[in-house]
Amino acid sequence: MRVSITINAVQCLLEIEPGDILLDVLRREGYVEVKGDCHTGDCGACTVLLDGKPVASCLMLAAKADGHAVTTVRGIGDQRHPHALQKAFVHNGAIQCGYCIPGAITSAKALLDENPEPTREDIRLAMDGNYCRCTGYEQQIEAVLEAARELREGGFR
Amino acid sequence: MGSAAAYVGGGVELVLRRNPEVATLIDLSRCGLGRIVKTAEALSLGAQVTLAAISRNGDVKAYAGGSLAYLAGHIAHNNLRNMITIGGAIGRNQPWNDIVPHLIALGAYVEIQDDQERVMPLSDFIRQREPGTLILGVRLPLVNADLHGFLWRFTRTQQDISLLHCSALIGVQESVVSAATIVYAGRPGGTVLYPKVAAELIGRPVKAETFLHAGGVAAQAVEVGDDLRASGSYRRELVRAAMVRLGEEMAGVAQ
Repeated sequence: MRVSITINAVQCLLEIEPGDILLDVLRREGYVEVKGDCHTGDCGACTVLLDGKPVASCLMLAAKADGHAVTTVRGIGDQRHPHALQKAFVHNGAIQCGYCIPGAITSAKALLDENPEPTREDIRLAMDGNYCRCTGYEQQIEAVLEAARELREGGFR
Repeated sequence: MGSAAAYVGGGVELVLRRNPEVATLIDLSRCGLGRIVKTAEALSLGAQVTLAAISRNGDVKAYAGGSLAYLAGHIAHNNLRNMITIGGAIGRNQPWNDIVPHLIALGAYVEIQDDQERVMPLSDFIRQREPGTLILGVRLPLVNADLHGFLWRFTRTQQDISLLHCSALIGVQESVVSAATIVYAGRPGGTVLYPKVAAELIGRPVKAETFLHAGGVAAQAVEVGDDLRASGSYRRELVRAAMVRLGEEMAGVAQ
């Protein structure tokens, strides 16, 4: 079946099988920044934004994304044009192995889009599906708070 | 839907537990079932309303003290709360489900469609298990909107399956319990209403002794069992503790 999914603001016409999982389709199409790990919706590594809301792409049929917008971490920022969140994660030592970070950044982006001035509790709730086994979570919370502050003050894009 | 068709979603379950017998899958996501609407009689939640949407909705936050909104915003995790639908939670009604017992405590009705559109108490729907029906949504009666919803999930971590779930809907007039619905789940097993425990509260003052007494009755009445998460005797103490927690919460409400 053919579906139309807007991925990182680019409309893509994709040939998929009805049972294909969104995570698998994205990686097959070259969006390898979306990571697969648990494949049961537990770890958050595969988080993407669907119409601005974070979802577990490992638990979503790709056909359900037909006609919708998907944003991966690359659509938020890249090495040449990093987003405030990505800079803040580096600045706060919130990254070690990096495997979970695309999902963590994506969840944090959805939070800041909805709530530019989150509390620590808001951040914990918004990122409660993003497991990290390297850094612990305090640095990530600090990073999101710093990015929120910078975005409010216009320091980063 | 007939004998050859069945309700199989929520989409989350659909991917996690694939059924090779399903030859044709019909996506209902464009059927207009994703709305929350307040009418003169009820707050209607479409079957495809997500937990995240429920947790953020102002009308749900105002309903019965906001217990459903709180629950919907604190179970599973954020990615899943954006995916889990209320219809899926009811349709699958897994034993670890926390949404269904709380909805039953709130007096919810379910809107279903088979050969005709019907509305029935959610508790009856769960008991009768009608797999050939399509779930259209849930109605929370506004007559319960000013009562106090209570829930207590005893879990090892926020995202873990409940060792015990207790939900209640309590009405208070002049510091006396005027209405009560008590539900226990995760005993382990599904949702059960306990009118006998509720009867121990109605007409009695909102005081610690009232709920302590009801806790004793509940510990006798609620069937509990062992599984890998907890023993039956531990759960029995949790049954009692839930009533004590309810009493503590209601003492604050009654003041």
